[in-house]
Amino acid sequence: MQTDRYLEPHQARQRAPTTFEDLLGDAIERAFAEGAHTLPELVACLNRTGPSSENGQPWTESGFQALMARLGN
Amino acid sequence: MNTITFTKDPVDALLKDGLKNLWYPICPSGFVGERPISLRRLGKKIALWRDAAGTLHALEDHCPHRGAPLSQGMVLGDRLACPYHGVEVRCDGTVTKVPGSPGCKLEGTRAALSFHVQEAWGAIFLYNSDVNIDTPPPMTMPEELNSPEYSHFLCYAEWKGDYRYALDNVMDPMHGTFLHKQSHSMAEGESTATFQIRTTDTGFVFEKTGQRGVNFDWTEWGSTGVHWMRLEIPYPKSGGPGGNFAIVGCATPVDGNTTAVFFWRCRKVSSWQRDTWRFLYRNRLEARHWAVLEQDRIMLEQMEPDANQHENLYQHDIGVVRLRRHLRNLAEEQLEAAAAKAGNPA
Ligand code: FES
Ligand SMILES: [Fe+2]
Repeated sequence: MQTDRYLEPHQARQRAPTTFEDLLGDAIERAFAEGAHTLPELVACLNRTGPSSENGQPWTESGFQALMARLGN
Repeated sequence: MNTITFTKDPVDALLKDGLKNLWYPICPSGFVGERPISLRRLGKKIALWRDAAGTLHALEDHCPHRGAPLSQGMVLGDRLACPYHGVEVRCDGTVTKVPGSPGCKLEGTRAALSFHVQEAWGAIFLYNSDVNIDTPPPMTMPEELNSPEYSHFLCYAEWKGDYRYALDNVMDPMHGTFLHKQSHSMAEGESTATFQIRTTDTGFVFEKTGQRGVNFDWTEWGSTGVHWMRLEIPYPKSGGPGGNFAIVGCATPVDGNTTAVFFWRCRKVSSWQRDTWRFLYRNRLEARHWAVLEQDRIMLEQMEPDANQHENLYQHDIGVVRLRRHLRNLAEEQLEAAAAKAGNPA
């Protein structure tokens, strides 16, 4: 949007999300909407329906936490 | 009452540029880098710069010699050298050097208006004093910004129109049910409600009776060295654990027809839930929050500047009425104090 004043929709991120981050964001929201609110439930849900983890392996609780710490800190 | 007499009202003239002797957020921290910048805020032009250690300083962007913009000049640590005739002004307002006329009586006087500044929560706050003071009073913000149990992001925007329309908008929870009906978080709740006002230690809460945590159901006004507003809106289930999200907001007048708005979006989350919320906020939620805020901006910008002179208020609007009256009282007190100081009681 071209304006003479500051109207920036994205102020919290430095770059646009990657395709992987897009898919993961959708998958996390889907899991939350289904009521998966604990870490084991969320990880199980991602393994069932979500994208696989970055290295192509199944999600683990520690792997998910480490990735969120990196992308969300 | 027409617009012309309204703007000549001294109370309104004071309110238009913002009450004095308060902290105001003026811009995100990142707006000021190595080079000095000039910002119009609170009816003034303000020069902001950082010294080599990164410490922020602020002076009125008006050289005490003949009024050239100091922000166009050179940074000399905690002072600026005016580009016009080289006068050097320190961050406390003192003229330290007049190169064109060494020893002249301007040297050593505190002839420029200086401002205290502090950085917190991603923003630069400025103390709006109209005289030079050595120590400003402290400011605090609500626990959503101070407590480590919360995580938050600042959303900053510049809206056309008087800042008081932005204040009114936040003091008007009922608009959530209508204006934001098509939004990710405000589809719920009754479309009629009765409101009440509850006094707090620092201000008041304007809230729906018998409905909490369904929609945008209450707003709090607070004064803690800075004027802020706070509200909560429930997230949909897809927002995950962590309960409602809270917004702490401030509106800072720019020039009478522009407003700098600050909305800190906060959530009580920790560990992986915190990180996950922050990931979702960056990649999914921020855009949706922005779309809601744009509905507010577009509505307010389409209102006539004197819309608030032709109103028919009803029960939902008692928060707006209370806040306007409160601000007018504060303005009257400031004018009386200024008159008493000048020796001619109002
Ligand atoms: S106007 Fe700044 S030095 Fe003359
Ligand atoms: Fe709104």
